[in-house]
Order: sequence, then structure tokens, then C-alpha cells
Amino acid sequence: MDLTLDQRRETNMELKTEKTVAYCLAAILLVVGVVCYAAFPQKKPEDPIRIMLKSAGGTVLFDHKEHASEDGYGLDCTECHHMWENDGTKPEACTECHTAEAEDDMPKLSDAFHKQCISCHEDDGTAPVECSVCHAF
Amino acid sequence: MPDEKLFIGSHAPYWHNGSSISAKSYDTMLAALPAVVLGISQYGAPALGVLALSVSCAMIWELIMNVAMKRPASIGDGNAAVIGLLFAMLMPATAPWWAVVVGTFVAVVIGKQIFGGIGCNPLNPALVAIAILMLSWESMMDFNDALVNYDFGFNMIYPLAAIKSFGASAVSDYNTVGLLMGQQPGGIGTTFGLGLIIGGLYLILRGHIRWEISLSFLASVFVTALLFNLSDPDKYANPVFHLLTGYTLIGAFFLATEDSSSPVNFFPMLLYGAFAGILTVLIRNIGAFVDGVVFAILMMNVANPLLDKIRPKAMGKGIKHA
Repeated sequence: MDLTLDQRRETNMELKTEKTVAYCLAAILLVVGVVCYAAFPQKKPEDPIRIMLKSAGGTVLFDHKEHASEDGYGLDCTECHHMWENDGTKPEACTECHTAEAEDDMPKLSDAFHKQCISCHEDDGTAPVECSVCHAF
Repeated sequence: MPDEKLFIGSHAPYWHNGSSISAKSYDTMLAALPAVVLGISQYGAPALGVLALSVSCAMIWELIMNVAMKRPASIGDGNAAVIGLLFAMLMPATAPWWAVVVGTFVAVVIGKQIFGGIGCNPLNPALVAIAILMLSWESMMDFNDALVNYDFGFNMIYPLAAIKSFGASAVSDYNTVGLLMGQQPGGIGTTFGLGLIIGGLYLILRGHIRWEISLSFLASVFVTALLFNLSDPDKYANPVFHLLTGYTLIGAFFLATEDSSSPVNFFPMLLYGAFAGILTVLIRNIGAFVDGVVFAILMMNVANPLLDKIRPKAMGKGIKHA
């Protein structure tokens, strides 16, 4: 049976409302999305929490916070960082000087990390020293 | 001989029961809300940005395709919004804007519209997009890498990556109730297990998704993971861990149950869910990828037309060369 004129009108009205709701939703969410991206850009925390060190032998997920915080291993900054930023308030990031390839007398990044991490882990006695425990991912 | 199982139909005119695609779409979005809200409360504005941009971009891509193909505008049915929402739920909160734009383009245009729109897509559109992003921008979709700057006070190593690297011993670092309550890193809307279960049950009770697919998927993930766990308890995680981590729950209730890419008959639905579950655990435990849900469901989407060939016999006797 064909729809009556009233029923057709009702259906058309419903479809129109649906479309209007969808257009409004799309417009509002677009604005919300753009504002969120523009006003709240991803910021790196002042002190790194975790650092992903990519390596052919397996990526290392280094928990910087765990090593540095009092609740964790409580290491002093200077136990790893031996260079400070110009104003002397903040340790220099390892990657500022150590690059992927060795330059002159500067050890390359992976050598610097290996020397730093492994010697400390060995001295500690309880920290893992097997490659696969750090090069895990 | 009379058969009590016969479907009894009556003459026209029929009365429409009031259901519509838009009602189903908005119900699905409502069901996803608990998981989405927890994601926003954890990650804040960046998560809201990904979700809002994804839903709006998916709708805009749909509208652009409608105009390009000279078809009536179909964004009113809310299907594109659901695709955008599910895609965003699978993404990390740190996803850049261009990944959301590209992802929703792949989902709506390549995953759905080029096949003819709603009901014609052979694969789940949101999963097509996620699979392409996973293969193209591996590090962006690696939750360990993407969420390095977040700390919520619980273990922030992606659970499935942890068991892949450290074996079943890593399971003890996670609390089962915590996993259920969203205390794990992951996609914006994939970590709140309880919320996803409540949303899934709501969809089942409303008749929007089929319990056969969800239940068989979860049961087969459980059984397959249990068999692996029994064979080597040191290497393979327990089945409950597999159920509560990664994309398992969102896959069971929101992804595998997508209408046009899943079977319609009873037995095929059970097979579809069961094989997807088995493949998920196989990929997780012995495959290269950390989580297997995306590729497992896509594989079963491909097998869906074949599975649906298993159907009840038609009544009466066929006559050849009639």
C-alpha cells in the first residue's frame, strides 16, 4: 500500500531532521577537534617519563622516571648526565652531543648508552645485565 | 506434515516498527560512550581532539563522496560518524591530525564508499584504516612509543607487547581488576574493559549486534589462549589476560559484529567469531604483530561470503532443467 501524503511528509521531515542533526554534529565536532589540536599541542614533559631508544638489536623502553625518582631507583642526575645546559640548571640530553655515528673523540650514542647502562647495572648487582631484558621490544 | 518452525507471515499493509539506521548508529555511539569518556578523562584534550576530528572528518568524507558520486547525502544515517568514532577509539591519543584525516579517508572512502556505501562494504571500514596505518606508520601505532610522555601511576608498558617480549612472567605486573577498569595503556576507547562489556550487552539487548558473533569470538579467544597457556605456562599468558587487553573487547562487541562484513546465519556466525578468535591468539602468540584482532577480523571479513554459503536447506525439492 502506498504511503499517504501525511505519512510521506512525516518521513521526509524525519530524514531532513536527521540530516540537519548530522550537519550540526559534523560542524561542531570539527571545531572541537581543531581547537583541541590547536590549543593543546602535545608537549614533552620537562623531565622525560619514558624514552624509546630504537635499535636494530631490539628497541629499549628506558623508564627515565623510574631511574630518577625518589620512589624508584633514586639516581642523582649526575650519575648519568655529565654535561649541563649553559645556565647550569638542567642536565644536557644525551643526544645533544652523542649522535648515531661516532665523531672525532665523541662516542656514538649506542656506545655511550651501553657504557653508561651496563657498567651501572653490573655494579648494582641486582639490575639486569642480559641484552634481551633491555632490548626487549 | 505441518512444521511448527515455519515462519508465519501475514498480508500487507505492514506497520513500520520505527527502527532506523540512524537510531542504530546513535545507539552504537551511546554504547561506546563509557569507554570513550574514560579515554578522554585519562588523556584529556588530545584524546577529545582525535575523537572529535575523526567523527567530523568521517562525515565530511562521506558527504564529499556523496557529492562526487551524485548520490543523496547519506551522513544523516550516522554510519560515517560510527566509523569515525570506532576508528578514533582504536587510535592512540597522541595521533597527529593528518593521521586522523588520512585514516578516516581510508575508512570511509576506500573501506566503504567505493564499494557502494552502507551495506556493501566487504571489510570493516574502521579496521581497514587501522590496518593501513599500522603497516604504514608503525611507530605511531606502537602504544609504547606513542604514550611515552604519559604516566598515570599504573604500568604503562602495553600489556600485549610486554608478554610478547617477556613471556607470561609479565602478566603479574598487571592487575586483572585494573585491566577491567582501564588501567592499561592502549587506544583511546579500547582500555576500559567494563565499559566495553556494558556497551556490548546494551547493543545485544537492543538487537543491534548478534550475541553469536561476540560470544563465539570471546569464547574462542579464551579457549585458544588457554590451550597455549597449558602447553607452556611460562611463555604464554593466561586467557583472562588475553580477553582484557589489546583490542579484544572492542573487537568482540563493536568491530567483528559490523553488519555488512559479518555473516547472517546462525552457524556461520559462530564459525566467523570462533575463527576470528583463534586467529587473534595465533597472531598474538606466534605471529609477528603484537595484537592480532585487526588482521584476524579482516581475514574473517574476507571469508564471510564463503561462510554464509552454509545456510538452511531451502524447502521443497529442486528440479533441474525444469
